[in-house]
Amino acid sequence: MFAPPVNRLITELARLPGIGQRTAQRLAFHILRLPPEEALPLAEAIKEVKETVRQCEVCFNLAVEPTCRVCQDERRDAALICVVEEPSDIIPIERTNEFSGRYHVLGGALSPIDGVDPEDLHIEELAKRVEAGGITEVVVATNATTTGEATALYIADLMRERAPDTEVTRLASGLPVGADLEYADEITLGKALSGRRRL
Amino acid sequence: MLVKRLTLRDFRNYESAELTLGEGLTLLHGPNGAGKTNLLEALYFGATGRSCRTSNEREMLRFGAAAARSVIEVEGEDGAHRIEVGFEPGEPKLMKIDGARVERLSGATARPLVSVFLPDRLELVKGPPGSRRAHLDQFVAALRPARAENRTEYGRALAQRNALLARVRAGRSGPSALDAWDHELARLGIVLMEDRTHSVELLTPPFGRLAAELGLPGEATLTYRPRSKAADAAGLESELHEARESDLQRGFSGHGPHRDELVLAHEGRPLRAYGSQGQQRLALLALLFAERDVLLAERGRAPLMLLDDVVSELDAARRERLVELIQSEGQAVITTTDAEAIPGVEDAVTAAVTAGEVRQELAPA
Ligand SMILES: [Zn+2]
Repeated sequence: MFAPPVNRLITELARLPGIGQRTAQRLAFHILRLPPEEALPLAEAIKEVKETVRQCEVCFNLAVEPTCRVCQDERRDAALICVVEEPSDIIPIERTNEFSGRYHVLGGALSPIDGVDPEDLHIEELAKRVEAGGITEVVVATNATTTGEATALYIADLMRERAPDTEVTRLASGLPVGADLEYADEITLGKALSGRRRL
Repeated sequence: MLVKRLTLRDFRNYESAELTLGEGLTLLHGPNGAGKTNLLEALYFGATGRSCRTSNEREMLRFGAAAARSVIEVEGEDGAHRIEVGFEPGEPKLMKIDGARVERLSGATARPLVSVFLPDRLELVKGPPGSRRAHLDQFVAALRPARAENRTEYGRALAQRNALLARVRAGRSGPSALDAWDHELARLGIVLMEDRTHSVELLTPPFGRLAAELGLPGEATLTYRPRSKAADAAGLESELHEARESDLQRGFSGHGPHRDELVLAHEGRPLRAYGSQGQQRLALLALLFAERDVLLAERGRAPLMLLDDVVSELDAARRERLVELIQSEGQAVITTTDAEAIPGVEDAVTAAVTAGEVRQELAPA
């Protein structure tokens, strides 16, 4: 319908989550109307993020260096690991100021329907990290959904087998059932962190 | 909560129609095929977003029309609400509460509870156990809305465990995550079993009493038969563990509350297999009124009863008892070909239905 470059932009925008065909068109025409000095920083930001941001070698959080800022911070308790599904789940936990340990990002949750098996997540890396020693507690902060719960149970079983001396805890209920961590408010999340229970 | 008015457009045989409901009984009378049942369906559609008669929603669309619509106006403790449901083929269903679009009506507090009796839809009594489980779970959700989520979560966990069983069977996944899904399924499943047990305990006494009053002499019983014998989540988990070998062979979960049965019986014999058509109808009616009694006692809310051609099953004494039940509490809409057959009709709001038209003479409010 439009010139090929315009169609390509619309197609790419429509692939973003939550963006339908109509919104993609609106965004594309907005970008077309912008002067180059306002439109190009977006393209550059996308390019930069893809070229420089990678996964932390230790915890799989986002990082620009081999390890992330949390792993580099010597003041943080290295004996305490909080396990989350996605890097974005770290933000609300950091905001509560209740957690002083390190993280481990799984990269998702177990979901046989979607073909996600334990091997598809960074679970083995977590086990190795804990086996290496010095970890006293693993807090499993996967989402309070069915897939998040099953993932938490899987990790708890695995830890009992591979690192029996490490305590495994789950965020205390307080998270609304079925809620994703990302959307939990800071107060409930803070309470959930301070009242975590053994798994 | 009172349902005050139904407005529909291009729904079944109606181009447009309006029905004002009484605070107690509303009587729809007219010849067969006039469209009385369609009005009950439109009320159900407006209150739930689903049809109570068909899974093919196109049937609700008037021939040649583009979209069907049902609007119900209700008066709740918190004021008036307007619930609108529209169906257009190929489009997502349009559901609005007070003008604001919603994803679903279940869980919405502005929505009235409804209970429907259709004499030619006896699947609930004589069909496979799945329809009775689904009905019981809907009742649990009406009785304890906070627990409705648990049933949904159980369904999700079951689908995940089944997917994993199939993957393991096909050699595409290892079995290591099965323990976690057993645990999760057991945690949710035991709550589901407790909710069903609790509901059936409450329903059993009024079911027996109402069945006798409505014309099933002798003992009518309602029994929940869970497949699991487990008393707690750990027990259910170990049962799932034991079933794993055979589950892996089949590729799906053969044990758990998704296989439970609710038995409606008369004189010790299951009505599903041994009941006559008439007995099955009476049992269904008794169950719906038992549910109404329990909802009234526990939540102070009676569902709107939609009763299609209910009196033809009953003799004069039982018709009178039925109207007494209706008029004691809550709202009901009854269809009949013969208005004279309903005792106490002079207290009811009536509407004459003829070929896609509703005529009502209403006393000034
Ligand atoms: Zn890191």
